[in-house]
Amino acid sequence: MLLEVTNLDVHYGHAKVIHDLSMHLKEGELVCVVGRNGAGKTTLLKTIGGFIQPSAGSVSFMGESIIGTPLHRVALKGIKYVFQDKRVFGDLTVRENIELAAHPTKENLSDAIKKVVAIHPKMEKLLDSKAKGLSGGERQILLIGRALIGDPKLLLIDEPTEGLAAKIIGEIVDILLEMKGRIPMVVVEQNLFTVSRLADRIYVMREGAFSNEITDAATIKQPHCYEEDL
Amino acid sequence: MFAKVEKSPVLTLTFIAVGFLIFGYATSLAKITDFIIFCIFVLGFDLVYGHMGQLSFGHMLYYGAGAYGAAMFANFVHPDPFLAMAVGISVGAILALVLGSVVVKTTGACFALLNLALNEVGAFMVLVPFPEWTGGEDGLSLFFSSYGFIDFGDRVFRFYFCLGSLLLVVFLIVLLVRSPYGLLLKAIKENEIRVRFLGYNTYVYKLITFVISGAVAAFAGSLSSINLFYTNPSLMDPTRNVEVIFAALMGGAGNVIGAVIGGTAFMTISNYLASYLIRWEMFLGVALLIFAFRFRKGIWGYARQI
Repeated sequence: MLLEVTNLDVHYGHAKVIHDLSMHLKEGELVCVVGRNGAGKTTLLKTIGGFIQPSAGSVSFMGESIIGTPLHRVALKGIKYVFQDKRVFGDLTVRENIELAAHPTKENLSDAIKKVVAIHPKMEKLLDSKAKGLSGGERQILLIGRALIGDPKLLLIDEPTEGLAAKIIGEIVDILLEMKGRIPMVVVEQNLFTVSRLADRIYVMREGAFSNEITDAATIKQPHCYEEDL
Repeated sequence: MFAKVEKSPVLTLTFIAVGFLIFGYATSLAKITDFIIFCIFVLGFDLVYGHMGQLSFGHMLYYGAGAYGAAMFANFVHPDPFLAMAVGISVGAILALVLGSVVVKTTGACFALLNLALNEVGAFMVLVPFPEWTGGEDGLSLFFSSYGFIDFGDRVFRFYFCLGSLLLVVFLIVLLVRSPYGLLLKAIKENEIRVRFLGYNTYVYKLITFVISGAVAAFAGSLSSINLFYTNPSLMDPTRNVEVIFAALMGGAGNVIGAVIGGTAFMTISNYLASYLIRWEMFLGVALLIFAFRFRKGIWGYARQI
């Protein structure tokens, strides 16, 4: 198993945000986590990414516990995080954003740029633009492209289509579909139509725990079947 | 026009050198030597503040450590000015390494105040417990050896030596901030957590920056001892941290030329305005308010757009 989360409890102060949650992810799998606002989806992702320490339970990646591992070491193990807020390093150019991501993975800059351009050729024209001038969709593409640098072993993607125009959502979904099967992903998403296109498996999250797990491909394709679980 | 100056290191160095030569010969070489030393201090401070995004209220500690390191070496070991400078820089760098290992774990107000507290402790240490070594309140009067034309007793030599030192520091900092390391500093300033998510141990990079900053401040401090031929506790006075913060803000934080312009502007105001206004500090306070609220980019930040 690539990722195994067992009996996870997470607290914010005295408030229990996630309780007794278990999940797993196999090589090449794309798992979507759906749920209402405040259900604990982002907290779960941040806990897997090493940003939040759980109060109980375990998170193991490729058979090794990663609880207590410093953030930069989690990243160097190959777990890459794409944040919900689409914040890039705005004062740097797109090229510099890519260079920054390439350096710790020891990937050649030109190879790194090729990877980003490969997912969306438009990025080539924007290489010398300041990242703060990018649109929301361009930022998201840069963030996903940046996460691909250094051959990641797991992508954690938080609400990749939130706040984007329908056309851009389509492009982002196409990018994720292209990556699907090659790179394992945990995607937090509220747009059930997007989920139905992407997911191999779905975890439905409610009040800090999974209320349902959908594995049947036919059911996944029909969002109305799990809409009322949210 | 000014943006071109910033882009080329040769133009940057020429701009600074010519500016100080004109200013020095038009006014007083001795006074402008003080200005140059202060600019080196601002450059060191601005590495942590302008480039890394952490405001320190305690960089006088490293300035003073450099000054006292050089002075005590010259007074008790050997009066060689270059060895004294090397010792001053080393003392500042080692102190920054030891204290920085704790300080850089903090951010924001905690970082600022922890630095201030450590500066207070340093100022107390040179003032009270070891007067036989530090000279206590009186400080230390110094003598330095001369070697042929290398004579720190000559104000013209001191001016050119300090100007050369400033240009060297500017050149090294320009190299640093234009390297991938500089890119990383910019990113840390913008969002440290995200940098860690990329796989960087930001603690190490912040500590290295803090040590370089402390060493540059100590270099300025040791030059001050050599320039003045004495050292006293005012060189570690925590209340003087305001000066370097004013200077960085006025010139334009996070920019090498901005630091030099800010240092020069502050020294010009504090040296010349005092002749005309009794409470010149009030003018400085008003100037800071104007810069903080209306001109956040500082003098150079706007000049470079011309």
